[in-house]
Amino acid sequence: MTRFAHAVHEELWSHGRRVESRLSYGEAVHETDGSITATDTRDDALVARAEAQLERLRAAMPNDALVRLVAESTLEGDTATMTVREGALSIVTDPEHVQEDLHLMRTAGVPPAARAVCRRPLLWKNGTAAILLHEAHGHPLEHHHEPLPLPDWLHVEAPLIERRQTFRDVPLLRMQHVRVTQTNAPFDLPEEHIEVTMVDGGAYEPLTQTITIRVSASSIGAFTIVEPRANILFLGARGDAQRYPGVICSREGQELVVGSHAPALVTAFR
Amino acid sequence: MIYRKQGHVVRWENGTLLRVTESGAARETGGLFECWPEPERKRRTGFSLSMDRLKPVLRFSMLERVIVSRGYAEHEYGDRRWSEHTHRFHASIVHDHLRVLVDREEDLEPIANALQKIGREREAPRHLRLAPNVTAALLPFLEEAKQTSGGVDGYGDDITESSINFYRPSYRMRPVRMPFNLALDPGVTTIDEALPRAIALLEPVQGLTLRVLIEEERSVYPAVVTVTGIEGVAAERTWYPYGAGAYGAEILVSA
Repeated sequence: MTRFAHAVHEELWSHGRRVESRLSYGEAVHETDGSITATDTRDDALVARAEAQLERLRAAMPNDALVRLVAESTLEGDTATMTVREGALSIVTDPEHVQEDLHLMRTAGVPPAARAVCRRPLLWKNGTAAILLHEAHGHPLEHHHEPLPLPDWLHVEAPLIERRQTFRDVPLLRMQHVRVTQTNAPFDLPEEHIEVTMVDGGAYEPLTQTITIRVSASSIGAFTIVEPRANILFLGARGDAQRYPGVICSREGQELVVGSHAPALVTAFR
Repeated sequence: MIYRKQGHVVRWENGTLLRVTESGAARETGGLFECWPEPERKRRTGFSLSMDRLKPVLRFSMLERVIVSRGYAEHEYGDRRWSEHTHRFHASIVHDHLRVLVDREEDLEPIANALQKIGREREAPRHLRLAPNVTAALLPFLEEAKQTSGGVDGYGDDITESSINFYRPSYRMRPVRMPFNLALDPGVTTIDEALPRAIALLEPVQGLTLRVLIEEERSVYPAVVTVTGIEGVAAERTWYPYGAGAYGAEILVSA
């Protein structure tokens, strides 16, 4: 019999004004027959830890944007997640990185009206390539599909573990994080290319093995990629893995933060 | 005023049985919405979910997802008290790169049987019938759809044909204004049963354009239908858990 317990305090702030506050706690006990018994049992220590995380988030949040704070404490540890949205752009960050991530968002380029996406090569900057690999490599693994064929110089670490959003949810095999690295990769950047600087979201359709990536900021503005994952060509990469502040992954209605790191990556589509 | 809810849900989700008991409260003060658990208030309301009932469902090899739940909840808001029983079914079935979502147990078998016979995509017929499950999903996009009376909303207010009501599916959600029990007035109730029939949605509804699975005589095919007019509405209605509830009826449409 195993036990999951957590406390979560979540707040929504709009330009410095608190508009929503949700406290939640409970435990899920995995019974010997495989069933789960979930109750909103309070663990005072977890609630106190979550409140402390919330204080850290409040102290670090910007007061001129729409901000969601999620402080969670589980038996395994604490997390403090801050989602900041300004117009069409958003970041998922924490108290330690919020200032640098805000700078990234505010300098990523205001997206002009979306233009039709062309088939030019893409340079995935700021760690955004982690989203591409999250959808094209990580989600297929969750669905027991074949790993994406990768060139020798590209490595993707996407460990799957059982995770759940709340004590009311059935745990699912989900990505813990996505860490993309390169070793001695080529980097011949074609002159005509699109620089992807921020990504708003993505999806993987297991029936057709098609990925959708919603690029929110790039050198041509916002656009959406919808491609079979087999069409991705990996052309090159450069540098160390950079943390991308922006992945809340939703599957079966359960939203989870997935840490994401990737180097600058050059791709094209067949 | 404080809203309180306590309840118990038994949910069977893709092979795992989950029993959830919880109790919580919510308050709106000016623009601030707050909610918190109140576990000391809950009473256990024991009931189970019969696995025997699921056996006919689970024989379908095309099942991608099955969620069945049964629940009971007690609500209070000020001096108002009300309770509700819920029973929900949700399945997704897949065949040949197509997915159909089914939200009523009785709809599963006919849709699954038809999906196995699916042929190539065709143009939509000019006149066709929409099955109640398809109509129910379309209702929020139809100007002709109206709220119908019955039950109470998230503040315990009666739902009438003309009332303004608020939907609160959980104590953790801020109530939102929404029409309840959407339905179409049955005008012309004669439906030509020889016409092709859209029996399921293959994609989420996009306005009045639907990608559907159509049964026509002995053939089954996918087609994109843009509804341009409603020519008949059957009198019999079936409730579906879409939005704050929708009553689907067999309807005759032009496309």
